[in-house]
This record gives sequence, structure tokens and C-alpha cells, in this order.
Amino acid sequence: MIKVEHLSKQFAYYKKGIGLQGSLHNLFRRETLTKDAVSDVSFSVEKGEIVGLLGPNGAGKTTTLKMLSGILYPTSGSATVDGFVPWERKNEFKRRFSIVMGQKNQLWWDLPASDSFYLNKCIFGVEDAAYRRTVEELSELLEVRELMHVQVRRLSLGERMKMEILAALIHRPDILFLDEPTIGLDILSQQKIRDFLHYYNEKEKTTVILTSHYMRDIEALCKRAVIISSGQLVYDGELAAINHLMGDKKLLTLKAAQPIAADRLVTFGKIREQNGTETVLEVPKESLKQTASAILASLPVEDFTVTEVPLEESIAHIFKKEVAGL
Amino acid sequence: MEHTFNRQTGVSHTPKRRLAALGRYLRLFFVFAKFSLMSQLEYRVNFAAGVLVETGWMLIKLLYVAVVYRAGINIGVLTPDHITLFIGTYVLMTGFYMLYYNNFTSISSLVQEGQLDMYLVKPVSSQFLVTLRRLDFSLLLPDFVAGIVMIAYGWRRAQLPSDWRSVTGFVILLLLSNLLTYSLFLLPNLLCFWFISTRGIADFTAALWDFNNMPQMIYGKWMQRIGTFILPVFVITNFPGLFLMGQLSGGLFVWSVAAPFLFFFLARLLWTRALKSYASASS
Repeated sequence: MIKVEHLSKQFAYYKKGIGLQGSLHNLFRRETLTKDAVSDVSFSVEKGEIVGLLGPNGAGKTTTLKMLSGILYPTSGSATVDGFVPWERKNEFKRRFSIVMGQKNQLWWDLPASDSFYLNKCIFGVEDAAYRRTVEELSELLEVRELMHVQVRRLSLGERMKMEILAALIHRPDILFLDEPTIGLDILSQQKIRDFLHYYNEKEKTTVILTSHYMRDIEALCKRAVIISSGQLVYDGELAAINHLMGDKKLLTLKAAQPIAADRLVTFGKIREQNGTETVLEVPKESLKQTASAILASLPVEDFTVTEVPLEESIAHIFKKEVAGL
Repeated sequence: MEHTFNRQTGVSHTPKRRLAALGRYLRLFFVFAKFSLMSQLEYRVNFAAGVLVETGWMLIKLLYVAVVYRAGINIGVLTPDHITLFIGTYVLMTGFYMLYYNNFTSISSLVQEGQLDMYLVKPVSSQFLVTLRRLDFSLLLPDFVAGIVMIAYGWRRAQLPSDWRSVTGFVILLLLSNLLTYSLFLLPNLLCFWFISTRGIADFTAALWDFNNMPQMIYGKWMQRIGTFILPVFVITNFPGLFLMGQLSGGLFVWSVAAPFLFFFLARLLWTRALKSYASASS
């Protein structure tokens, strides 16, 4: 469905020195520099798949999505989305995808969202019956039916985002690019949008590329992650396999009757945190059983829990390209 | 026959489809007009203030007419009645230009803030969406009424022909003038794709528009030539009146039809080029 090969995008910019002197200098002479926003990125996405596009700020995620939706021309490389070259900007292509950007909006600020939906209906040439069905169904699912006739400027951020998503789906696109759709939203709104996207993808088999800084979004929706850092692809694979890359470790949280000396604990694993009677130990997955029984046998432990290393942590290491072999 | 569609505009190459596309664009234009009016009426005071301010500007232009009549000024072959007709055309055209003017000045901020993104992913011409989506009726209203009244008054008093040929010709030239205004004044605003902030250029175009405050005959020969052929602002408000007076020679008549299409073509060309240099600001 989506095929990206050696995609690169460079931006030209110039530096400005501090203060007025720098500005005056710039007036007469500007040294043009180039920044590699995206550099030689290749990946592909199957129909119906939801892929998480991850990376720190400025990594090139949004630039990649903008190239895939035809907003930007690449400097080099190629890409096809549903058989179309995005930056040729064919209308047939534009009818097949939609992009939602958490920080950009398409709704008319002073009018109810339903008017913007109607405008999109006219722009995309959606039939009356199909339009009514879509609005009815999606407004029910997103729980915004009661808000259809409220001016957009009076809606909360969460409500507005739901309306933005609905507006983007009026023409029932096959492909959906979501650039931080839950940014700045409260937990409940985030949850609602996640549930909606999950349901919509299951039902419509829409191909989705999602960028988000909220790991919960990614964990709930994506089986696969593509990670880019400083414009380069650093990981492409199962989300579940990321912890494996980190050396398959588990976290053991112990609660003891009284504080335990660190030198006794260190024999069982690496101490991550120690706070009074509570300690978090990092232990290799393969020796988890033996370590746990040894701890229970020799230390005054009252309670203990086993958890995975948080995904954020593993991904942060990948961002820094600290994982061997990357 | 999908392959006959134009990639950029959605306009097909067969006459039937071309007509259908035109109908679609007209329908969209009416939706924009309706939504713009609805949005503006949300802020009643602002709407009234817009009407008042534009009325003020229009009254200043009326002062010129008053002075012309009071002093009995003739400019070449133009009597005060002719001059009223010319200024009326200018007032009416200003109203039409003001209807979509705010879209032109906001192109720069759309580029600067990267908001243009959302217009590039819609299956209709992005130029159409960006330049005609917000229509300001508070600015059109006073100019439209005053312009029509002045044209009718000058036309009658100057005893210019009012047979159907003259009226049709005048209306067609006004329509062409609208196309020329749109194209000619869009061109400098597109420079923001390369230079981002173009306030200086916008001020220059505003000054250029005001050259039409009075009929072109008050300017010297060379100014008239530049204003007719290089930056054809004079064509916009002078040619319809000259046509009525039978003063539009064959060559100039051809130019009055050709210039709007030539400049529209140039605007299309520059728009396409401009989009290629669009860098889309950070999210």
C-alpha cells in the first residue's frame, strides 16, 4: 500500500548571529546551510496495517508524513502510496487519503463543525446518502453528536480534535496519516480517540501511519514501529521486539519488612531504584525464576511484582542509537 | 475516462467534463460565500464597523467627484459626467477586489505558519481554495451600491449609448476586469513563497491600485503606456468606460480581452512554481 525507498529531504536555511549586528550582517551576506530533515529512509506498509512512526522532536517524522501526503517534494528518493506518487498531487490520490495534524486545523472557527463537514462533502464530491451515513455513524462513535451545532471556537480541545478526525474521514479514505492526533489532550479524550481509531481500522481496514509522543497511543494501536532519529531510520519491526533489542530484561519490584542494604541486593541484579523498603531490580529474563526464588529465600521480602522494562525507556535508547547493531 | 482529468485543477479536457467541473467550482464558491457571510454575521459589531470603514473610504472617493463637478474640470475629452462614470467603475471594482482581498494578504501567514498544508491535500485547485475561500461582504456592500449608482448617474448624464450591445459589452469588460484584478494582484503576493514576509510588496500593490482613483488621462503618455501594457492597472477601470465612449480602438479592445487571460495564465504558472518551493513550516 505504501512503499518508501531512499527518501530524503533537505532544507536550506541560514544562520543568524546574536543581536542587531547579526541581523545587519545577514542583510548583506547570508551563508546558506542545508539540513537533512529526512535521510535515505526506506520502509513499506501493508494494507490495513497501523504503523507507529516514532522519533524525538525534529527527527523527521512530520516531514516524512508531509512527503507521503504530497505536501512536500522530496530532495531525492521515491515513494508510492496506493500506486500514486504523492507529490504529483493527483486529485484521484487526494480522494484516497487523509491527514490529521494535531497542531493544524481545517474546521471553520466561527461555524459549527457540521458546516465544515458539509464543505468537505462538496470538495470531495461525496453522495448525500453516504455523507449522512458517515456523519451519523462517526459522530455516534466519537460521542460528539450533541456538539454538531456548536461553533468550533466554543469546543474544548478534545472535542475539536474529534471533530477534526471526523472531518478527515468524510470521504472514507483508504489511508490515514495521523500526526500527533492526541497532543495536549486529557487522558479520557486520548482514550476515546485511541478506541475510535482502533475500531475504525478494524472495521474499515484503513491503512494508518501514526506519530505520537504518547507511548499509550502507540502500544494500544500499533503492532509495528518505524523509528527515525536525526532523519535516519534506526528501527523497523515489531513493537514487542523492541525490549528484546534491549537485552530482554525484567524489572522486579520488592517490598521488604525493613530496609535492605544495597550490597546484599546487588548480588541479585542491577539496582534501578531504592526508596526505603522498596527496591526495583533489573534482572535478565532467562534467570528471572531462579533469582526470584533466591530473593524470597534469603531476604525479608513481603511482596514482589514483575514488570517489563517501560517501552519509553527502550525507545529512548534507540533514539540515542545506543542499542548495539543499530 | 478518468485519465482526461487535469492533475492540478480537476478540470477535464473534454468540454462536457469541463463544464461539470466549472459547475462544481461555482457551487463551491457559493458555499464559501454562504459560510463567509455566516462567519461574519457571528460578529455583528465587526461587520457593521467593516461597512462603516469602507463607506468612509468610498466617501473620500466621492469627494473627488464633488471637486470635479464644483470646479467643472475636464480631462481631455472627459467631462465631469464621464469622470463620474470612471470613478464609479473604480469604486465598484474596488468592492469586488475587497471581497477576496484578505485571502491575498493572508497567503504570507499561511506560508509562514505552514497552514497551507491543509489546502494542498484537497482534490480541488489549491489556488482556488486559498484565494477565494473567505469573502468579505462588509467591504463589498458600500462599494457595490455606490459604484453602481455613480456608473448609472455618469452614464445617463453623459448621454452614452445604453442599447443592449453597449450594456453587454460594458458588463463583459467588467467581468474581464475582475479576472485581471485577481490575476495581476495575486502575482506579487505569491512572492512570499520565496521571501516569506512580503509586507513591503503588499503596500506597493495597494498604492498601484490607487492609481485608478482618477481616469488614466491625468497621467503622462509613458505612465499610461506602462499602466496599460506592463502593469495593466488602467485596463481594469478605464477600459469599460472608454468602450462606452467609443474610444477603445481595435488593438486596445483585443488587449482588454487578452490581458486578463494572459495574466491569469501567469498567475497559474507562478502558483504552480510557488508550491514547488513551499517548505511547510514546522508542525
